[in-house]
Amino acid sequence: MTTYRLPNRGRVDHGKPVRFSFDGKSYQGLAGDTLASALLANGVHLMGRSFKYHRPRGVVSAGSDEPNALFGTRRGAGRFEPNTRATIQELREGLDATSQNRWPSLAFDMGAINDNLGSLFSAGFYYKTFMWPRAFWDRVYEPVIRNAAGLGVSPSEPDADSYASRFAHVDVLVVGAGPAGLAAALAAGRSGASVMLVDENSEVGGTLLSEPAVTIDDKPAWDWLAATTAEFDALPNVTVMTRTTAIGYYHQNLVGLCQRLTDHLDTPPEGAPRERMWKVRAREVVLAQGALEKPLVFDGNDRPGVLLAGAAQTYLNRYGVKVGDRPAIVTAHDSAWYTAFDLAEAGAKPAAIVDVRATVDHALTDRARALGIEALLGRTVTGTSGRLRVKSLRVNRMDGGKAGEARDIACDAVLMCGGWTPCLHLFSHTQGKLTWDEALQVYLPGKKTETVQIAGAGRGLWSIAASLEDGANAGTLAARDVGCQAEAPAFTVSADRTGSGVTCKELPTDRDAGKAKAFIDFQNDVTAKDIRLAVREGMRSIEHVKRYTTNGMATDQGKMSNVNGLMIAADALGKAPPQVGLTTFRPPYSPTTFGSFAGYHKDATFEVTRKTPIDGWAEAQGAAYEPVSLWRRAWYFPKPGEDMHAAVSRECRGARASVGIFDASTLGKIEVVGPDAVTFMERMYTNPWAKLAPGRCRYGLLLGEDGFIRDDGVIGRLSADRFHVTTTTGGAARVLNMMEDYLQTEWPDLKVWLTSTTEQWAVVALQGPNARKVLEPFVEGLDISAEAFPHMAVAECTVAGFPARLFRVSFTGELGFEVNVPARHGRALWEKLWEAGQQYDIVPYGTETMHVLRAEKGYIIVGQDTDGTLTPDDAGLTWAIGKAKPDFVGKRSLTRPDMVAKGRKQLVGLLTDDPKVVLQEGAQIVADPAQPKPMTMIGHVTSSYWSDALGRSIAMAVVVDGRDRDGQTLHVPMPDGTITAKVVKGTVFLDPENARISV
Amino acid sequence: MLLIHCPYCEQDLPELEFAYAGEAHIARPTDPSKLSDEEWRDFLFIRTNPKGVHFERWRHLNGCARFFNAVRETVGDKFLATYKTGEPRPDITSLMGDAK
Amino acid sequence: MNAMTSTASAGVTIAELPPTTRIALRIADPAGIGFGLPTTVGARSAEGARTALCLGPDEWLLEAPEAERDALLASLSGIAAPHSAVEVSDREITYALEGPAVLDLLATGCPRDLARMPVGSGARTVFDTAQVVLVREADDRFHLTVWRSFAPHVRALLDIAERELAAGL
Repeated sequence: MTTYRLPNRGRVDHGKPVRFSFDGKSYQGLAGDTLASALLANGVHLMGRSFKYHRPRGVVSAGSDEPNALFGTRRGAGRFEPNTRATIQELREGLDATSQNRWPSLAFDMGAINDNLGSLFSAGFYYKTFMWPRAFWDRVYEPVIRNAAGLGVSPSEPDADSYASRFAHVDVLVVGAGPAGLAAALAAGRSGASVMLVDENSEVGGTLLSEPAVTIDDKPAWDWLAATTAEFDALPNVTVMTRTTAIGYYHQNLVGLCQRLTDHLDTPPEGAPRERMWKVRAREVVLAQGALEKPLVFDGNDRPGVLLAGAAQTYLNRYGVKVGDRPAIVTAHDSAWYTAFDLAEAGAKPAAIVDVRATVDHALTDRARALGIEALLGRTVTGTSGRLRVKSLRVNRMDGGKAGEARDIACDAVLMCGGWTPCLHLFSHTQGKLTWDEALQVYLPGKKTETVQIAGAGRGLWSIAASLEDGANAGTLAARDVGCQAEAPAFTVSADRTGSGVTCKELPTDRDAGKAKAFIDFQNDVTAKDIRLAVREGMRSIEHVKRYTTNGMATDQGKMSNVNGLMIAADALGKAPPQVGLTTFRPPYSPTTFGSFAGYHKDATFEVTRKTPIDGWAEAQGAAYEPVSLWRRAWYFPKPGEDMHAAVSRECRGARASVGIFDASTLGKIEVVGPDAVTFMERMYTNPWAKLAPGRCRYGLLLGEDGFIRDDGVIGRLSADRFHVTTTTGGAARVLNMMEDYLQTEWPDLKVWLTSTTEQWAVVALQGPNARKVLEPFVEGLDISAEAFPHMAVAECTVAGFPARLFRVSFTGELGFEVNVPARHGRALWEKLWEAGQQYDIVPYGTETMHVLRAEKGYIIVGQDTDGTLTPDDAGLTWAIGKAKPDFVGKRSLTRPDMVAKGRKQLVGLLTDDPKVVLQEGAQIVADPAQPKPMTMIGHVTSSYWSDALGRSIAMAVVVDGRDRDGQTLHVPMPDGTITAKVVKGTVFLDPENARISV
Repeated sequence: MLLIHCPYCEQDLPELEFAYAGEAHIARPTDPSKLSDEEWRDFLFIRTNPKGVHFERWRHLNGCARFFNAVRETVGDKFLATYKTGEPRPDITSLMGDAK
Repeated sequence: MNAMTSTASAGVTIAELPPTTRIALRIADPAGIGFGLPTTVGARSAEGARTALCLGPDEWLLEAPEAERDALLASLSGIAAPHSAVEVSDREITYALEGPAVLDLLATGCPRDLARMPVGSGARTVFDTAQVVLVREADDRFHLTVWRSFAPHVRALLDIAERELAAGL
């Protein structure tokens, strides 16, 4: 096989071969290669197929701006990644890469038929083509488009890798470790400021890695680089992170960094995350992101073998790879001439240097002549040939602004340079303003919104000397701003090859411009004529042109295409570029894995799962769980062979017949303490509290100021100045926040304080006619007989030897107790009661049975039977309102006209005509099932269960004027038929006299 | 993620410790029963939602737990000042001067 | 300095501490109650084995060995000024985090700049999505206190981070 590797050249390790495979074929590269440089060293330019036209494509760049060379890469099960950029992926032993967007093979791709149907796929194709017939939208167009859309193939297995994240705080963050960034980090680092220097490449150096002939302070560039790196290593206040992309720049100098940790390693260490997302807060940011090279826009500028001249220079000098033996150079800028010179000196035979400019610096033409390279000035390029690799370049003279006589130049690569544009992405994330520089024909950073400095090529300083000086100044200013003494280091630079150039729209052609495939956006297959078509079809704003053509909307974020697109759109609109403007850059700067955004939030740590102290017992019993806010709660306890229905029926029977045991630990608890505790309670809750004696409990109803039900719970008064408030499980944090809000901001004069005790107490509920019998033997210091400790009593005592707060409460309609003990004793208490309950066939029950038992009694669950639009009256809870109280939160709203008007939805009971039918919760209710659709829905089912005690289904619903409909038959239309049900005004289905509670 | 100066902790702290709490300086009427339906409606629901300087409340929920007031410029999403609950509104003109 | 090697060999240890007595004390004006309560949010005072951490302008977390629980509660009940003392000993779990990489360990979940937290002070803040109280006991030792039901989540994250630090990347 031909090798394009040059011995002893570049920064690769010529003594360390690395095997890898591409489309199943084995290749050899060197340690230090990227996948792209290794393939180029093997003479492989054909690396992929384009997105829309499936045109053969090769690598264009040598960096993160790469639009074409995207691969699927795999490292074992669960470690497949689509769209890996070959220019970023470092070679590792056994790297398995496959090309994308082709079938059956990269060299012969059926999808390439799209290329010949190009006129069908012009700008706005989707908008124009898939208009009719309407019936085709869902069944034909969308499936076909979805199938064809997208780059690469989504991974099909769960991601086997782990991802990390970390916060960091630094004085100075320097983004980009080229000359400007290095100098900035040196200046700031020497001052003692804490400095973080990050670069997306595998090593620092930036341009210097591609320009080894430069000398800095009399040292060859790479020696200077080694010395600088060594200085950073010795400075404890400087952190250097390579393979680290600054993906987004957020408020107040918060910069997101994605650090790639293992993709380059042959064998990652055990437990190592693949990537780490850094959230860095910097007092000062220095952006030294450099500049991006622009392609030239001409017909056939996308064939494999056509690449950016600067990239070719990088492949040559950094990786020791010649991109071709006979490259032709096409340029609008001096820099490509130097690429040609370097290649010639390395043994290639450049076919020609074609410059669109009529005149260039004599030094360039002299040097070309000396190297035997033909220089063609004032030319245009009008085409290329070659199916899977470029073979020739068509060059025309320019006559009076028009393309004239043409000539074909044979070549095996075309190196293009349309000049350079500052990389403004991160600056744009801050909403920093961009200003057009007429002389440089580029956008430069303008008005800043953050404490940031832009240094080097990022603000149009093209030379290494200027970038070093600028970076040193920026680093010095940053260090001084954070209070450090800093002096800008000075650098002497020689062999600095700076240059200038012109900015172009698409190059003139003597052929039909409408047929030219002159690409602007390689990744989204957008051509110059697409932009012009968009303007012809009425797009005026650059944002509209962008969306109509998709120019710059690919994953490369328009790094190569935005400015070329702008120049052509401006020309088509007959405006100057600054009057057209640039589209907005948004984070992330380059494609970032979902994994690194998710960080640690996957698998067991996906989110918090709160467990009670008794959860382990339930788990050992094989409980089924349901999530309730962040808690996981035992849902039911199935015995072998039982389904949910059977288990819940058995649990309900057990609790009603004898005794059930229930883990109520998740209930929110707030201790309200202070001399003004009762005043506070009076103001917060609808109920009266002043006359509630210590040792007694009351149901409390909490409204929002808008009069709607927010929460409820049983509240015990422990002493004159101390209340034990319970809230719903899901409402605990919200209620505490609301109480704190009123206390701190409306009533700061009240001497009362709130403390969350939700997790201080484990709560075991015993419910059922035998509850007292189970509990009584364990209680010390308290008589819990019916007379001494009636329903809604609370007391402090000792239960099973543990300090306890004992409540006599019932959410089931049965005799009930809730034992609060310090959380650490919860499991022990549960097990003792469980054991003692065996003689009464005690049954553990979960939240489903709890729901059924309470629904049989018509007790509401806030958030299930209410939805934030129910008033106490709507819910049938006016009895809970302290009528004599002058004020409480929400009181004034209860008399607003809308709150007392007819037509409000009211909570009622609903009994199906067929007692075996259990309504679906959430099902809509109509009065007349025969009415035309869309029907008028008058309410919905909020709770619905099979009641074992009643031998039939029961339901609650909110229905317009529900209480006036007592006895009315309503209808619940379901997909398989309409269910009829009768309204019952009250929601209490069982034991309305509460006889069972008071035993 | 913003950095927010907590006037009680007297430190600039990460937004993750804070919770937004709506517009500031809307005091609950001492006797709501005296308000007309329209006045009560306005108290409940009418907010300024300005493009520009906004007086708003935050709570240092995962910190000192205090509610406090802030002046934030909503276009650039920048805090101009924070101050304790109960303190008067700071002078906007001088704050805007500082921002420049 | 290279970030990749700075913590490579540095370990951390994570240990759950045995139960202790914790009281949430709230009082408007701590002067004159005789407890020597610090009045700057984040400051902590110590008296024998008892500590008082100021969590907010009117809020302190008092900690004492379990053997001193009853004595502490008794002395609090003697405060004449309006106040609230609520025992929260079982509400939370405390982990001791120690080692040269302890700041890196905490930086995996805590957005605060903990390098600036003076030894002997603390704060309520967040670790991942859980509210925690962090106290810097020594340069390389923190106590992290978290509500009981959030503790397994926080512990799992700390263990992941510990493995990550051990892997050296």
